[in-house]
Amino acid sequence: MKGFLQIHDPLKPKGHAVGIDLGTTNSLVAAVINGKPTSLAADEGDERLLPSVVHYAQNGGVLVGKRAVELLATAPTDTIKSVKRFMGKSLGDLETKKLGAYQFVEGQGVVRFQVAGGQPVTPIEVSGEILRTLKRRAESAFAGKVEQAVITVPAYFDDGQRQATKDAGRLAGLEVLRLLNEPTAAALAYGLDKNAQGTFAVYDLGGGTFDISILELVDGVFQVKSVGGDSALGGDDFDRAIVQRALEAFGITEPSNTQIAQLLQAGRAAKERLTELPESSLTLDGRVFSFTRADFDGWIAPLLQKTGVAVRRALKDAGLTPADIKGVVLVGGSTRVPAVRSYVEALFGKPPLADIDPDQVVALGAAIQADLLTNADRQDEVLLLDVIPLSLGLETMGGVVEKLIHRNSAIPTAQGQVFTTFQDGQTGMDIHVVQGERELVQDSRSLARFRLSGIPSMPAGMGRVQVTFSIDADGILSVKAKEQTTGVEQAITVKPTHGLTDEEVEQMLLDSIEHGEDDMQRRQLAEQQVEATRVLADARKQLRENGDLLDPEERKRFELGVEALEALAQSTTDHASLKNAIHELDEQARPFVERIMNRAISKAAVGHTIESF
Amino acid sequence: MTHFDVFGLTPALELDVKALEQQLRALSLEFHPDRFAQADARTRLAALEKTTALNDAFKVLRDPVKRAFYVLKLKGVDLDSEASAAQVKMPLSFLEEVMERRERLEGLKHARDVEQARAMADEIEREKSAALERAKVALERDDVPEATHQLGRVRYLSRFIEEVEALEEEALS
Repeated sequence: MKGFLQIHDPLKPKGHAVGIDLGTTNSLVAAVINGKPTSLAADEGDERLLPSVVHYAQNGGVLVGKRAVELLATAPTDTIKSVKRFMGKSLGDLETKKLGAYQFVEGQGVVRFQVAGGQPVTPIEVSGEILRTLKRRAESAFAGKVEQAVITVPAYFDDGQRQATKDAGRLAGLEVLRLLNEPTAAALAYGLDKNAQGTFAVYDLGGGTFDISILELVDGVFQVKSVGGDSALGGDDFDRAIVQRALEAFGITEPSNTQIAQLLQAGRAAKERLTELPESSLTLDGRVFSFTRADFDGWIAPLLQKTGVAVRRALKDAGLTPADIKGVVLVGGSTRVPAVRSYVEALFGKPPLADIDPDQVVALGAAIQADLLTNADRQDEVLLLDVIPLSLGLETMGGVVEKLIHRNSAIPTAQGQVFTTFQDGQTGMDIHVVQGERELVQDSRSLARFRLSGIPSMPAGMGRVQVTFSIDADGILSVKAKEQTTGVEQAITVKPTHGLTDEEVEQMLLDSIEHGEDDMQRRQLAEQQVEATRVLADARKQLRENGDLLDPEERKRFELGVEALEALAQSTTDHASLKNAIHELDEQARPFVERIMNRAISKAAVGHTIESF
Repeated sequence: MTHFDVFGLTPALELDVKALEQQLRALSLEFHPDRFAQADARTRLAALEKTTALNDAFKVLRDPVKRAFYVLKLKGVDLDSEASAAQVKMPLSFLEEVMERRERLEGLKHARDVEQARAMADEIEREKSAALERAKVALERDDVPEATHQLGRVRYLSRFIEEVEALEEEALS
């Protein structure tokens, strides 16, 4: 492998490869040095975590990290924090005005921030600044070039968000070797460190998101069995719970923005003190609000139970029970909360592993993967096999989703399905690609639409279109449609201009459970409506072509039956009654069908000798 | 290339899934795109295609039901596609039974009686296993119509069980 590369690329040394945790609050770069994953400190000091905050100055200069944080209060619209929440999103998807007092540039497509010192910037560019800072940091640590990186993303990032992250890497001058799911990275750091075998769960509770992954490590292969999560749940919610109680205690019903901001900051600090102490307090305008750890545990209990639901679902998807889990890895700052640790312990029946710093574990895992991908000597050590987090499907008749690839399928993967034409002489077919767990298109995320044209004119049902979904090792989807008799073909790589919001993914998942029954009924109705349309079209065609086989009274009755079915198909919401009506028309048509068959046979027989027939 | 070919196996209804999983790991170690991250585009594409075939074959072969459907497909009957499955006529008595059960399940769904629904699913699970066993016997002696009939039953019964599972998941949250 090595020799081959050198022949191909003799002039371009690749330099060191690093792992980067591009976080919502903090980011971190790490690399494997002398066989050991190590996080890299900033040149000016020992600080490893780089706050994910970027300031754009009047003079066109850009500040990243601590110095940008200091400007948050004085230049809030020119200082962007939590940019990760904007990745792959358009202004349209955003309820994000509440994510910060930014000046957005109105328009379609990607979000743009109007900042000081020049042109508006996109979240991709802002993330690119953070990555560039980390790249420089690594280069000064190595005193050499760094051109390749593994960047981590939440397991629940969709196609658009992944694409945006990859683009940010490219902007920073990095070749993105792989987008790695954060919990997988954490498991990798533990698995290799402890030289473990068996099944592990990664419980990742960050500031704003919760991820759960179930992985198995056997014979050097790390296989992700299932992933799940709740993308609107995290430590920020714990802070909000404290603020809410403090407001009640202070008797403030309509707090000002400044009061909320002060309380959130004070609440977070009070929460962090509780990790070590049994009691904590915060002050606002000279007033004090005290609470105990037991109070706090009670407030966050409902939030923890929500993580339990996601954990049980992920275990079920993997076909496992808590007893099958050998170790639980904790990731994310919020797992420092003692109540979180004891909840996790109760959930799995064993104390969680937390001996690697939860703030660093993701970057360390990414560094290991970067090393595995670039260092031929380590190639035999371990291999990661990942899965897709959300199901992918196509719109079929009646707005029903036909899932082609189910969530938690191992990637890379491909799946094809044949669809037939619906109308006589149909020459095109619309392909609508959707993502999510719901039964109906209207409830799913639309990823792409395209049209396969040039299907030769054929009777309904004769045109056969093979649609194939392929997903590569980064989780990026491409779709191909091919008409089978003519070989007419069309292909696209799905690159949405903006992805699904975390909230949407979450909402979609929640909805699929809440409305499961509702969906099923709507799906069944849609199916019967399609069937009715087909039966009606067929009946009309036979009346036109073979209506003379019926006597006037029979004909009248049959026509009435057709009309009745049509009226019902348009008005009813009950799939069962529609199904019965279809069945009745079928029964009524039976003698008619027999006569048509006889006619067809006698027609076919004409001109054949007995022998050849 | 059939899914069995991917693993170098001859088509069979019984497989050692543990061994299959071991083989998947060994073959992944050999062919996965990550093994060729620094190679040229053509080599990477070949790795992607091989690993895709591997994952897709494993998905089918590890599951006894999917495996039986696949063996039937190799014998010319594709029950996976809606279009061709619709051609398979199930006996009226079976369909009536399905309808009657469906009504019962609808009732339980309304009453949110997960326990009763689970009991029904368990009973149906046993029937499904029996039908699968009969299908395997039929496939062994190349009786395609009987295998088709039995797997048709499995298809109906599986859907029913899936509905109960959806109900349970709903109750879980």
